[in-house]
Amino acid sequence: MKATYGMALLFSLFLISCNSEPTLQKYFVENTENKNFIALDVSPDILNVDKTKLSIAQTDALKSFDKMNVLAFKLTDTNKAEFEMERAKVDLILKDKKYQQLMKFGSGKEGASVSFVGTDEHIEEFVFFANKKENGFAVVRVLGTDMNPTSIMTMMSVLQQSNIDLEQLKPLQQLLK
Amino acid sequence: MKSINLNPSFCISAKQIQKSTRFSAGKKFLIIMLLVFISSPIFAQAAFDKFDGQDDVTSIIVNKKMFDLMSKVKVDASDKETQHYLALIKKLDNLKVFTTKSTRVEGEMKVAADKYIKSAGLEELMRVNENGRNIKILVKSGATDSQIRELLMFIEGAKNEDTVLMSLTGNFDLNEISILTDKMRIPGGDDLKKATKGKR
Repeated sequence: MKATYGMALLFSLFLISCNSEPTLQKYFVENTENKNFIALDVSPDILNVDKTKLSIAQTDALKSFDKMNVLAFKLTDTNKAEFEMERAKVDLILKDKKYQQLMKFGSGKEGASVSFVGTDEHIEEFVFFANKKENGFAVVRVLGTDMNPTSIMTMMSVLQQSNIDLEQLKPLQQLLK
Repeated sequence: MKSINLNPSFCISAKQIQKSTRFSAGKKFLIIMLLVFISSPIFAQAAFDKFDGQDDVTSIIVNKKMFDLMSKVKVDASDKETQHYLALIKKLDNLKVFTTKSTRVEGEMKVAADKYIKSAGLEELMRVNENGRNIKILVKSGATDSQIRELLMFIEGAKNEDTVLMSLTGNFDLNEISILTDKMRIPGGDDLKKATKGKR
């Protein structure tokens, strides 16, 4: 009897695992080349802060950030159907338990959500997902090692004294046109 | 969302039927029910979720995780006000705000709210009627009178004004809410402040 239970459990585990949804990482890789998308990698250099002026806490916080990946879908007259499809895909990916949703804002036409991966004190990844019916949508992943709530608040203070290098964000301008 | 989350449980049951015919029907049923119940807390408090994502509705949802994270931020020990604020945040679970300008949705909200008030056993804290705006604030008390498990606010907007449905769950003190309304810009915060002041 015990063996049967074990077998059933084992098989059910297999079933669940082969059911597993595609991850955001995969999704990013798959669509980087897609002409509907604009892909962008942003390094922490974008902040362009004077490192000598930072406090120790701020330097540590900055270190915990690795990079930021942006994937944006640019809506045109011809890709409306794809937009709905891709948006649904991202929605589905973010419903995975791995992505713990922090907050969400939305109306029918536009929406945004913030999720994270990891545990409270060891955050691996932040995911921002924003969409607007007229423009398209954008997924932003902020990747880091061991980010924690305090370091994020510290980052905010770094952001305030940074002068962001807009050169790196240039590709995104197409979105707003 | 329901179907996705339930899927694994169905997979298991299907497989179990296949794998072990030795399970009695009763046992199978029990296991299925167990799995359903395990996943059901995720859907709890979903009375207003249908308003989320509707075209005429603007929704703001803040999850427990967010409050958890915010409360973990280390602050200067001398900053009493912020510390107080963080202590309160720790006690919060969920914040849901739905606003709409559409009269159709307003009607639906009213029905949903009334139904929810009855089923969840909320008590009316105060009711305000000013300039055509009808504001109702309800609470679900916890262990003591001032201990609140849920705060529900429903503002019926007059013409061209937003109708607001707000639900805040957690385990907090009514008196602490004024800190929150000071710090966060919650719609109807002023009215809420009046309500909590009155109780003090």
